[in-house]
Amino acid sequence: MKININGEILEVKNDITVTGLIAFFKLNVKSTAVAVNKEIVPRSGYAKFTLKESDKVDLVTIAPGG
Amino acid sequence: MNKNTDGDMLKIGKYTFKSRLIIGTGKYPNFATMKESAEVSGTEIITVAVRRIDFNAKENLLSYINPDKFTLLPNTAGCYTAEDAVNTLRLTREIDVFKTDLVKLEVIGDSKTLYPDNEELIKAAKILVKEGFTVMPYMMDDPVLAKKLEDIGCPVVMPLASPIGSGLGIRNPYNIKIIKETVSVPVIVDAGVGTASDACKAMELGADGILINTAIAGAGNPVGMAVAMKNAVEAGRLAYLSGRIPMKLYAQASTQMEGIVF
Repeated sequence: MKININGEILEVKNDITVTGLIAFFKLNVKSTAVAVNKEIVPRSGYAKFTLKESDKVDLVTIAPGG
Repeated sequence: MNKNTDGDMLKIGKYTFKSRLIIGTGKYPNFATMKESAEVSGTEIITVAVRRIDFNAKENLLSYINPDKFTLLPNTAGCYTAEDAVNTLRLTREIDVFKTDLVKLEVIGDSKTLYPDNEELIKAAKILVKEGFTVMPYMMDDPVLAKKLEDIGCPVVMPLASPIGSGLGIRNPYNIKIIKETVSVPVIVDAGVGTASDACKAMELGADGILINTAIAGAGNPVGMAVAMKNAVEAGRLAYLSGRIPMKLYAQASTQMEGIVF
């Protein structure tokens, strides 16, 4: 299925969870936050949160700023 | 008598800091210079933004800044509505490297001046205070607004000295002074500092701290400027605590006339 990650379309396996996505991108879970369709997903819910076709996922972290 | 600023702490809500200098992490020529500047500045609080992960980036800020050593302060730079600012800061609750609930709230009203939008700022501050954040609002140098933000529950107010990144220094020193007299929470001057004398002047006016990014990051030698800012903030603070002499229009001789020969 296709989902939108940080503005880009990506082909992922069906029923991938947020935990699966974090593993796929090899992200450090401690410095990452996730929103799906602009709703924040709490970290405790990553394993149970299954993504659907066309979901818009934001994977965010800290960046330089003032 | 105090000969230095030892034991003089900055209190922001339930948090206490020794350093009165907060520095940003944007616009440095590279991460190594940012890291060294942060270290020599003596800062304990470092502001950062929250952004989508760049999968192509070769390195990231966290490879250089240890979140156990510094308090990372998330900001809402680039947010133009209360809703966007609140949602950005809610995201930070899921990010472990933020070890406090301190947040720098900025809601921009205009892209040319980057002046804050007062209405949206107040709206966002109310929500965030209710949700338990320790809200540090970037605001106009407006004493009335400062009082409103204090009443909402912000344990600090952060008036600008002049527009973000402008380096114009303190455009309205009297307002900074009035804000200091109006609120009982600490006043941190955020934005507009151009060089060390601006930081020193702000502290002499009674500011409790300064937040600096561009003046250090954009300097010819950021590390040198970071040391200069550290010294300026400390000198200004000590001068403020020590009490400057009143200004007079005419001279007052510092040498006694008694015993003069000719």
